[in-house]
Amino acid sequence: MTIGVLVDLMLALALVGLSLRVVTGRALFRDIVLFILFGLVIALSWSRLGAPDLALAEAAIGAGLTGALMLMAYRRLVAGGAEDVAPRRRPPLLAVPVAVLTGALVALIGLAALGVERVPDAAGTIVLEELGASGLGNAVTAVLLVFRGLDTMLEMAVLLVALLGAWAVLGEVHPGRLHQVDRRTPLVGALLTTVAPVTLLIAVHLLLAGTDAPGGAFQAGAVLTGCGVLLVLTGTVRPRAAAGLATKLLVIAGLAAFVMIGASAVALGRAPMSLPGTWAVYLIETAMMLSIAVTMTLLFARARALEPERA
Amino acid sequence: MSSAFVYVLAASAVFGVGVYGLIVADHLMRKLLSLNVMGSAVFVLILTVGGATPAGPDPVAQALILTGIVIAVAATAFALALIVRMFQETGLTSLRGRDDDD
Repeated sequence: MTIGVLVDLMLALALVGLSLRVVTGRALFRDIVLFILFGLVIALSWSRLGAPDLALAEAAIGAGLTGALMLMAYRRLVAGGAEDVAPRRRPPLLAVPVAVLTGALVALIGLAALGVERVPDAAGTIVLEELGASGLGNAVTAVLLVFRGLDTMLEMAVLLVALLGAWAVLGEVHPGRLHQVDRRTPLVGALLTTVAPVTLLIAVHLLLAGTDAPGGAFQAGAVLTGCGVLLVLTGTVRPRAAAGLATKLLVIAGLAAFVMIGASAVALGRAPMSLPGTWAVYLIETAMMLSIAVTMTLLFARARALEPERA
Repeated sequence: MSSAFVYVLAASAVFGVGVYGLIVADHLMRKLLSLNVMGSAVFVLILTVGGATPAGPDPVAQALILTGIVIAVAATAFALALIVRMFQETGLTSLRGRDDDD
């Protein structure tokens, strides 16, 4: 047994232990924090499995964004008088057998799939062979934008639908009730003036690097959302009653860029969704990054639109 | 014992734990956490059984998982919006009725 497998074993044990704590704990706040930790251990597992793109996405989206959304919702429930600690109840009799059998079934399928020999012309192999033709150096970005652009376009549609759904159940918004941090205190000011620009820089770097190295629109959008979350939490921006034209354009930008470039290919006599060049990849990814960041920030703030708070 | 073997077993165990949480959890947010835990287990499973190419794990599997991660957070955000609204309307954080004792 090599050191590598030992590390994998430790990560695997951490995953199982943390997931057990997350689902069986009694104090919700602590378990959300443990869930964020669980996401970070998953991110470590991705890098152990040789998938740095996924590690970045998991750390930023799976652990970071999901955690922030959960903690914000938790705060809203507690502010409304919900209880944190659940009363101890006797779990259903069949819960343990059902869970054990499900896990065993998944293990059976997984181990059987591990034993299957990889076909020589698997989709991933073809992607790597044709990577040069795509003009991109990162195979994952090439799949997302060039080879399977339709899937990514529809994914942006799902994100939009999630936002529209959240808006539909939003109810009445209370402007100015969101933040509790006084941003005139020196610490918050210093945090904003250093962290916000650095976040922006990292996001743009991830976007540009994503064509050849680990990174891409999703990771960049998630990091940019971090900036938005910071602005919301420090009260630099506040909810507005209705979404203006700018907000609407920003949330559909990713989908619109995809549709326009993908459909214009048909008008020019090429295959649908084929991109005219690397510039189109950058254009779509920039639009996607902005859409993801604005959509997720609005979901986090539970707002239809945000505007700068005048001091 | 290979790394892939370890991760398949871990993912299966985590998936089982998620199913358990989904059954026994009372609080809707804890059910949502359980669903997310199950999702992560599925992602690990997809990448591990997706096979390896000379340049690392299968890029199509990676793109699929990346898409899945983003869809998961979008669905989670919508579910949280529903949970918060339900709490505002009813004062409840679980599907159990106010007067249900068991």
